[in-house]
Amino acid sequence: MAHFAHVNRYWDRLNSVSAAKLLPGEYYVTTAGEMIVTVLGSCVSACVRDIRLGVGGMNHFMLPLDASGGNSAWGAAVSAATRYGNVAMERLINDILKLGGRRDSLEFKLVGGGKVMRTMSLDIGARNISFVRKYVAEEGFAVAGEDLGDIYPRKVCYFPDSGRIRVKKLTTLHNDTLIERERHYLDDLDRDPVASDIELF
Amino acid sequence: MANVIMAVDDSASMRQMVRATLQQAGYQVVEAADGLEALEYARENAVDLVITDVNMPRMDGITLVSELRALPGYRLTPLLLLTTESSQERKMAGKRAGATGWIVKPFNPDQLLATMARVL
Repeated sequence: MAHFAHVNRYWDRLNSVSAAKLLPGEYYVTTAGEMIVTVLGSCVSACVRDIRLGVGGMNHFMLPLDASGGNSAWGAAVSAATRYGNVAMERLINDILKLGGRRDSLEFKLVGGGKVMRTMSLDIGARNISFVRKYVAEEGFAVAGEDLGDIYPRKVCYFPDSGRIRVKKLTTLHNDTLIERERHYLDDLDRDPVASDIELF
Repeated sequence: MANVIMAVDDSASMRQMVRATLQQAGYQVVEAADGLEALEYARENAVDLVITDVNMPRMDGITLVSELRALPGYRLTPLLLLTTESSQERKMAGKRAGATGWIVKPFNPDQLLATMARVL
């Protein structure tokens, strides 16, 4: 799909498979037996596929901090955080449906949400986990597997054609790249108001 | 009497967010989970405005708009598309089908209500 042109793709020699590597805020859907890879700190990923077709994908996101602390005029149900998370999930699901997937044959696996930013008092990971679990339950989807929470970042490899997922907990980080990347993503989210483009014809 | 708004989306959580927003503003809300369900409801009942998703099973939002425009009671009814789609091509398809406007998700509640007030 054309809107995935910016996603980093490479040949993974270890697994002899074409791979797509997701950064925070990105998602990717494939029909071509590719592997999707990402590294999650406090972010979460939903790995979703249609079990009949072997078509699926992954997102990688976190909720923006709500400047009003959840006390906006719109309440938690319509908060900026909830609206942003909904769209992150819906984009992924819609692309799978467009490729022939059906809501009733989608399989969900949820990963991430570690409490990796130890300096922050707010447990961002837990907040992301609670959103993604609630979303999947509200939409009536079953969760086929999850690896959520704890204090470690994770490297995730997902194979949408088979549904296989490999999660490796990273007990030692060699540098701050992951944490810094998530911080930037969170800062960008907070600067960028969750608002829509409206065009009247 | 409060205006009746029909919210059409295959996502239950999205319908719930639209409902919560509109009810706080005093509108009466009916929901449909796809275009066909919406069209069947609209044939039997009066609705003052429709907010519909684009990508849905059974009948998509753009088809719903053209089907509604063909009904005698819906020639002038505001029909808004609310979608993650932002391509110019899909927007133009919506416009040709007779939509009143195009709103890209995530929606901002205040903007959504202001837009509705303009077209009602």
